Amino acid sequence: MASRGSQYQWSARGFIAPGVILVAVLLYLPLLWTTFLSFTEYNGLGDPDWIGLGNFAEMFEDPGFIGSLLNTLLWVVGTLLIPVGIGLALALLTWNLPGGVWLRVPFLIPYALSGIGVGLIWSFILSSNGALDQALGAFGITETPRWLVDAPLNTVVMIIAAAWQGVGVNALLFTIGLNSIPKEPLEAARVDGATGGRLFTSILWPMLRPLTAVVVGLSIVASLKTFDIVLSMTKGGPGRVSETLALTMYKETFVNSDYGLGSAIAVFLTIVTMIAAILYLREQLSKKHEI
Amino acid sequence: MSRILRTTVLIVFGVIWLLPVYLLLVNAAKSPLTFTSTTSWVPTDFSLFGNMAEALQLSGLGDSVLSTLLYALVSPAIAVLVGAAAGFAIVALRLKHGFAWFVVIFGGTVFPLQMVLLPLFDGYSRVGLFDTQFGMILIYTAISIPFSAFVMRNFFTGVAHNVFEAAVLDGATTWRIFIRLYLPMASSALVAIFILQATFVWNDLLLGLTLSQSDDVRPIVTTLAGMQSTYGGAQLSTVLAAGVLVSLPTVVLFLFTQKFFARGLALGQY
Amino acid sequence: MNSRRTKFGAGAAALAASAMLLAACSGGGAADSGETTGTLDFYTNKAAWEPDFDELNGASEASVDISLNTTGYSDADQYDAFIKQSFRTSKSPGLFTWQTGSSLTELVDEGLIAETTDIWSNAVDEGWVTEDLRETYTVDGKQYCVPMNIAYWVMYYNTKIFEEQGIEVPTTWEELDAVAEKLTSAGVTPYYQTSTLFTFQWFQQMVAGTDPELYEGLSTGEVKYTDPEIVDIMNLWLEQQEAGWFSDAGSTVDPAVGLKQGDYAMINFGSFFNGSLDGAGMVSGEDYDMFVIPKTNADLERTPVAVESGPLCVAENSSQKALGLAYSEWWMSDEAQTAWSEARGDVAFNPKATVADPMLAELGSTVASDDYLVYDRYFEATPTPILTVALEQFGAFIANPGDPMPFLETIQAEADKYWADQE
Repeated sequence: MASRGSQYQWSARGFIAPGVILVAVLLYLPLLWTTFLSFTEYNGLGDPDWIGLGNFAEMFEDPGFIGSLLNTLLWVVGTLLIPVGIGLALALLTWNLPGGVWLRVPFLIPYALSGIGVGLIWSFILSSNGALDQALGAFGITETPRWLVDAPLNTVVMIIAAAWQGVGVNALLFTIGLNSIPKEPLEAARVDGATGGRLFTSILWPMLRPLTAVVVGLSIVASLKTFDIVLSMTKGGPGRVSETLALTMYKETFVNSDYGLGSAIAVFLTIVTMIAAILYLREQLSKKHEI
Repeated sequence: MSRILRTTVLIVFGVIWLLPVYLLLVNAAKSPLTFTSTTSWVPTDFSLFGNMAEALQLSGLGDSVLSTLLYALVSPAIAVLVGAAAGFAIVALRLKHGFAWFVVIFGGTVFPLQMVLLPLFDGYSRVGLFDTQFGMILIYTAISIPFSAFVMRNFFTGVAHNVFEAAVLDGATTWRIFIRLYLPMASSALVAIFILQATFVWNDLLLGLTLSQSDDVRPIVTTLAGMQSTYGGAQLSTVLAAGVLVSLPTVVLFLFTQKFFARGLALGQY
Repeated sequence: MNSRRTKFGAGAAALAASAMLLAACSGGGAADSGETTGTLDFYTNKAAWEPDFDELNGASEASVDISLNTTGYSDADQYDAFIKQSFRTSKSPGLFTWQTGSSLTELVDEGLIAETTDIWSNAVDEGWVTEDLRETYTVDGKQYCVPMNIAYWVMYYNTKIFEEQGIEVPTTWEELDAVAEKLTSAGVTPYYQTSTLFTFQWFQQMVAGTDPELYEGLSTGEVKYTDPEIVDIMNLWLEQQEAGWFSDAGSTVDPAVGLKQGDYAMINFGSFFNGSLDGAGMVSGEDYDMFVIPKTNADLERTPVAVESGPLCVAENSSQKALGLAYSEWWMSDEAQTAWSEARGDVAFNPKATVADPMLAELGSTVASDDYLVYDRYFEATPTPILTVALEQFGAFIANPGDPMPFLETIQAEADKYWADQE
């Protein structure tokens, strides 16, 4: 028996075509060139020379690359714990709360702020004897760590700075999820006496899954390519202790003009991200169908 | 948890969250001539408008404001609709291999943007899109689509499929179902995506830097970012003031759209 | 084509025209329109200077009927990539800023830069530039680009602190050390340092100040970073670190503000730093002043001074090549340099130009005397891949000073790799 939806296949193709075409032409086509470059030696001038897997071999031999990989993993874990966790907590706290919409605003403002101001103000806060040290000093705490110098502390504080900016968005997405939960099962659960933790685990969490998938999926992807905030605050240093993969890629490509090696790192990063995203989303999808 | 406790917790954390914003404002308001880093928390003087004027004069804004506004409104608007259409095709119309197509679109967001900049520049200058407003709208739209498609696809999975079937029985075309039924139902998600992507476009530096050069095509942040450098230029408080200035429209946008999220969407009624 | 030439530099234009015909092999780009007046598209990584370039348009329009349409880039690394990529397209730049050293050689080797030998010969004849500077712009005996700016790396100091502590400007290395000791015991940090990007100054200063040939050897690969002479210098630096002579590496305070509020008494920086200090509200000659850092090795005949020079280049295959070269020629003149110094407030490379700031004017004439030896800054003198690693390693050393060997070995490993590839 033909599935009920099959009669709409042509219509469905029409609906999805604009998205696929725009993304393919403007994002995938340039990416193909990058993939090609990852198998070559190229300094941005003249023509690329084919060297096969040489760049990938070089990449894994570099101890700095391994450090950068570990930092990136720290970013993924940190981003899933802090901004996603706090974002969910915020959404639950403001849900059905009179004035909740406005209580959420302070958390959204950081996202609306321009990146120009944000990187600068956090450097300003975390500088030795900066705003944070001055505030701690007022409470008599004078022995403070060197926030942006010592690893892995510098990565941790940068994750917090990034969380400061990103939490509001996650809260917003979770709120949309909460608001789209049908009223009936909720009421039924409430009548059964479910409150607090039980209401959350039995009704809210399963119902939130579509939007949780969005938030977690986006967080994984975004944290794997963490770049801007590290560049503006430590430039990956001192030495290379706070470098992330995206920054390593950037340095090889734009600073050292080693386009081949930079592209190889980009390809590696893309593959890792793609695998993580597909694995995660596939699992989410299969669970969804069970509901 | 009781209402009062929740409100209290939110207020306390809200205040903590605003502390860096406070620092930003206080220090953006200090005169560069008397600025010191030793009294970060204390407002010393109020030169915010002077600093903003200085920033405007140094970066020669003006033209770029209008074009940035154009990009920040048009591109996310198109992207939201294109993304919703993709989500509709996959979820409601049950496109064959829907997950694979979804991954294709979502894949547009997984690689670092820095990697496509140079090929894009090359391609743009070959086909005459370099330094055109149309070219900028095009790339901002494409870059906003994956996020939009992701959110919309997942949002629509929360809608029972019999909503679609009932509409079909009423004799509605797929186009009509999309426009009249699914889009209105998703208004809060659409607005959320729009404001998030508009903010992204408004604050974009990378694409603007690479794909444009004229004053009337270059986005605003690209113009501002050049102000501070090792080789002289603006002082910290001037740059912070510039940051505050360009952030105003997006902050206002966030405040303005809050009412869309005030009412819960009773999807159960469909 | 010759009929369209301006009164200025007949030889240069003729040479440019023939060079263009010879260079037909390089791909991309567009045919030179041959025009020598009009609006010239100009790209720069010194975006903060855009208003100054705009200001200069009045003078260039009046004199050679050319005005710049400036596009500034805020990120130097992306700027480099953009320029390199643009040679392949129709946007090949008529005028752009670049770096001397290996970055310039790389472009010249690919035949991407228009030759400026005639412009230089004329400028040397006119007494507009020194032969020393010409060296910096020479690749394989020919000149490319013209100098946009020049900066000497000197020691800035907070005059109030010097007065309070009764300190005179040091004239020998021993005196400088004594100043640092005196400041430290008075509770003032002597020197500014940072662990990101500008991490090389002190190393450069001490190596060149000890032996300019040793410094030269590092940039050509003849001297290894692990050689005993270099290790000794690093150990000296380590002693100074342990004595508390350098500022907190974790501070991100703007150096100009730091000097103003007395976080440290001195900063080793390029002479373009006047602009930042003025912007921070310090008065030149009153709140701050500068001195040329004495040689580390008193036996040296001349005191080495690091110089940084940023070129203005013209792309070989640009449609605005003739226009770019015409502007370059004008740029070298004392008229243009006097106007530029007014707009920008910088040291002038042209000794005949009038420099607005007396402190910078004095510096320019001091360094030009026979007692000083000008050498290329570490940033330009070092091949890029080695530089990247060295900046990181110096940064790591500054953040956590300790046995210098591991840092030096890491740099040398990259240097070995680089020089092996060059053979």
